[in-house]
Amino acid sequence: MIRWCAILVLGLAPTLAQPHGGVVEEEDLCVIKVNYLRGHFKIYQPLTSGHREYCEDLPDATESVFVMEYLHDSLSEAAVDFRIIRDVTGKGRFARWDDIQAIDDLDAATVFYQPPTVDPDVLTVIHDFDEEGDFIGVVTANVGGDGQVYRAVFPFEVGYTGLGFWPYILLLLLLVELLWLYMTGRLQRWWSGAALILVSLTFGGADAYANEWTSQRGIFTVHYESSLDPIEINRMHSWTLVVTRDNEPLEGADITVSGGMPEHDHGMPTRPRVTADLGGGRYRLDGMRFHMNGTWEVMLDITAGGSRDTVIITLVL
Amino acid sequence: MKKAAFSLLVFVTVAAAIGGSRLFPGAVDDWSDAEIATLRSLWIGSLPELPPDPGNAVANDADAARFGQALFFSKALSPSGAIACATCHRPELRFTDGMRKGRGVGESRRNTMSIVGSAYSPWQYWDGRRDSQWAQALSPIEDPAEHGGSREHAVRAVAADSDLRRQYEDIFGPLPDPGAADRIDTTFANLGKAIAAYERLIMPAPARFDAYVEAVLAGDRHRQQELFSIDERAGLHLFVGKAQCTQCHNGPLLTNHEFHNTGLLSLPGEVPDKGRALGVRQVLADPFNCLGRFSDAPPDACAELEFARSGFEVLGAFRTPSLRNLENTQPYMHKGQMFTLAEVLDHYNDAPPAMIGHNEAKPLGLSRTELRQLEAFLETLAAPLATPEALLGPPEN
Repeated sequence: MIRWCAILVLGLAPTLAQPHGGVVEEEDLCVIKVNYLRGHFKIYQPLTSGHREYCEDLPDATESVFVMEYLHDSLSEAAVDFRIIRDVTGKGRFARWDDIQAIDDLDAATVFYQPPTVDPDVLTVIHDFDEEGDFIGVVTANVGGDGQVYRAVFPFEVGYTGLGFWPYILLLLLLVELLWLYMTGRLQRWWSGAALILVSLTFGGADAYANEWTSQRGIFTVHYESSLDPIEINRMHSWTLVVTRDNEPLEGADITVSGGMPEHDHGMPTRPRVTADLGGGRYRLDGMRFHMNGTWEVMLDITAGGSRDTVIITLVL
Repeated sequence: MKKAAFSLLVFVTVAAAIGGSRLFPGAVDDWSDAEIATLRSLWIGSLPELPPDPGNAVANDADAARFGQALFFSKALSPSGAIACATCHRPELRFTDGMRKGRGVGESRRNTMSIVGSAYSPWQYWDGRRDSQWAQALSPIEDPAEHGGSREHAVRAVAADSDLRRQYEDIFGPLPDPGAADRIDTTFANLGKAIAAYERLIMPAPARFDAYVEAVLAGDRHRQQELFSIDERAGLHLFVGKAQCTQCHNGPLLTNHEFHNTGLLSLPGEVPDKGRALGVRQVLADPFNCLGRFSDAPPDACAELEFARSGFEVLGAFRTPSLRNLENTQPYMHKGQMFTLAEVLDHYNDAPPAMIGHNEAKPLGLSRTELRQLEAFLETLAAPLATPEALLGPPEN
């Protein structure tokens, strides 16, 4: 709810977003912008709020975990430091880097500082706030060896008292929307549409056993043989791919492999790849292993003779 | 007309599903062919032969196992003289320690995992930062919070003990002179290989659950009802069905040995643990891995290492533990975050978003009754070890 409200607030008042670097809500994601570099930003207070995620303002003066997941590869290689200061700028929500530079004694205002660290996955920082008040977070990224420095500055409040009347307005809007959908018959149509999708998912799986797969744009056809037949979970095995184009074996194709379980939103446990071109349109695919029962998709991205197309093999284990 | 027929079909299906499980108690004894196939796959009788450990030439050597057992229970490998492998891996607690985090000379970073059945896993530790039992066994010896020692100290300790020295030399040949750095590494690796030869022998025995599966496979309803209460039978239905436990807890050891982010909360005072994202980098850099020069494996026997997945997808992911080791192994999870099965089940029922990375689990919507039934079923997995008593303590001369 808090997030929705924040989106709404930001939508109505875009001036709150920092032009050069700060924290904003975007499509249900809290995003930190360090100049043009972006990260998924969230703050937790596990001791008092468990799994609840905050974007900027925090309800309690307690142990807080700041998480910044990089959405941009450059941040993975950057030396990133993290500073939290008490807001002594007097600018509140509108504090910018210039205001922070104007502070006489930055160290005196600093309540937390983590020196630059390079972490390829995620920046995590823990700080125990011992008082409520207005604070400013500063994330500094040193990108590459050329001394290029990018910053995000985000003012926030600890001991944040709530959202006022926004939740009620949102609830009212939601009810009006639902009523409108109901009156125009859209709600019912969606409902039967969802049921149809469910039925086709349940009964449409039969084709998955026909072991010939055509690429999305119809350029290539793939047939596979597994060294493990039938395929079992949790066992490493190989596939032999037989690739054809216009019913002719396709030689010298460049094939990259990925895959996963769409229902569970995760990939394969291994990183399989084509290890040998066996000739005659046959390719050896090593490192195959599935670790769950259910529906899997194996995606073969095939490039040959200037054409590129993707074959999606669905299999039910 | 079509619409009416469809509605009827939906109604009948839903009614059958609800009625079948709730209204008629007899239905908990009905297993579909697909469910029977799943039960058979979870049955301990489906456990394949112990997989080879290609990196360890003495993996199946009885003398090495006896030497490994002596090392496992020896406190001499720790300079403090106070810590053995068995300090944290206590046989009476299924080779765990009953604490949130392991405690050697200091506090270790994570919960102590069981050794039982670990020979079947391609990865060791919660984050899979080692790829064999022997490489794993070396790590605590040099961990400042665990044995708090070094490879040099370990080799010296073996040389100083006439019994350990004799056993070592009978298996691996003469001990090196102190100071021969490369030979020290090889000798150190050999100690791990001996410990692994011992650890390979620690296996779970059949549980009441396995007897129940046998009764199902034999179609013996009377025996099924004798073995399992109604709650336990209902719990097993949930386990292989609605609760989706077998997505990860599959196979005869009830684990897929893989890494999953399940959205656990970090411990007070700690940032969230990066888990496999770090572990995969560490195992690839480990000089004692399958591809390293201390490994006895040919390079083509290291497929797991060669095709290991890394990146954001394994951020905050931890290895699925075997449910055959539930009994006496609380607290659960990689930091020992949870003390009871009820807490664990509540967590999976809620499936909150992960602090870092992405929680693969989805909320389950199980009722209080269903959670209780699942818990009742999980307790049927309790079983003794299949390992002879003589192996559960220091070797007798």
